[in-house]
Amino acid sequence: MGKKICWAIIFLTVALNVVMLQWAIESYLGHEFEKLYQFSIVALLSSFIALIAFLKWRRLEYSQ
Amino acid sequence: MKDNNRKSKRNQTGSNDELVNLVNNVNRKEDLDLNRRAFLKATAGASVALGLATIPFSVHAMIGDFEDKENRVGIVKLSELPKGSSITFNYPTDHDPALLVHTKSGELKAYNSACTHLMCPVFYEKEEEVLLCPCHKGYFELNNGQPLAGPPQRELPLIETEVTNGIVYAVDRRYRHG
Ligand code: FES
Repeated sequence: MGKKICWAIIFLTVALNVVMLQWAIESYLGHEFEKLYQFSIVALLSSFIALIAFLKWRRLEYSQ
Repeated sequence: MKDNNRKSKRNQTGSNDELVNLVNNVNRKEDLDLNRRAFLKATAGASVALGLATIPFSVHAMIGDFEDKENRVGIVKLSELPKGSSITFNYPTDHDPALLVHTKSGELKAYNSACTHLMCPVFYEKEEEVLLCPCHKGYFELNNGQPLAGPPQRELPLIETEVTNGIVYAVDRRYRHG
């Protein structure tokens, strides 16, 4: 997995998380808690993926 | 010869010579802070932060007391609310403003009146039989509370009503009754 892919993954997770946060707030205000939990879980997963991609990128970037 | 790899005086930092401005990197700090690596770090951080930001809502939903319990509240005598008029009340608590409308066709419609955009109170527009939020011109369908035009995206919470002995009661509230 190259550095470019790590970049791409991180940007995708940002996009996904923005949408998830928006939807989570919408469903919180609409008292649709089932959906809220689902969005929350997706958002946490994608945060985790972002973190992994970042660590991977860091390893590649700072190794000679 | 021996001075070859030493900077001549006018090129040293703090020199009064104008040339120093051409060889010294005055934006060195910015260049170090705003580079590609720092950008990716900030982006990754933002992604994680956005993801974590959904947690408080879930936590509040889990521990919060959102049970819309059976809760009967008298609103008004039906005879005091002629067709084509409306009255405000609070339901289920004193902090939830609501609007009861007696439509021209004789139906009773009640909604929480806080606009689903930014919580301005909505009004009954008698001529066109719609609910109007004056703040940003949000329109809601009178019959089902769905947003018609303007910024609101969600319907108004519906309040179910019942008429007993000529008195209108609010009995329950439903979110997302689409
Ligand atoms: S608050 Fe109602 S339209 Fe903005």
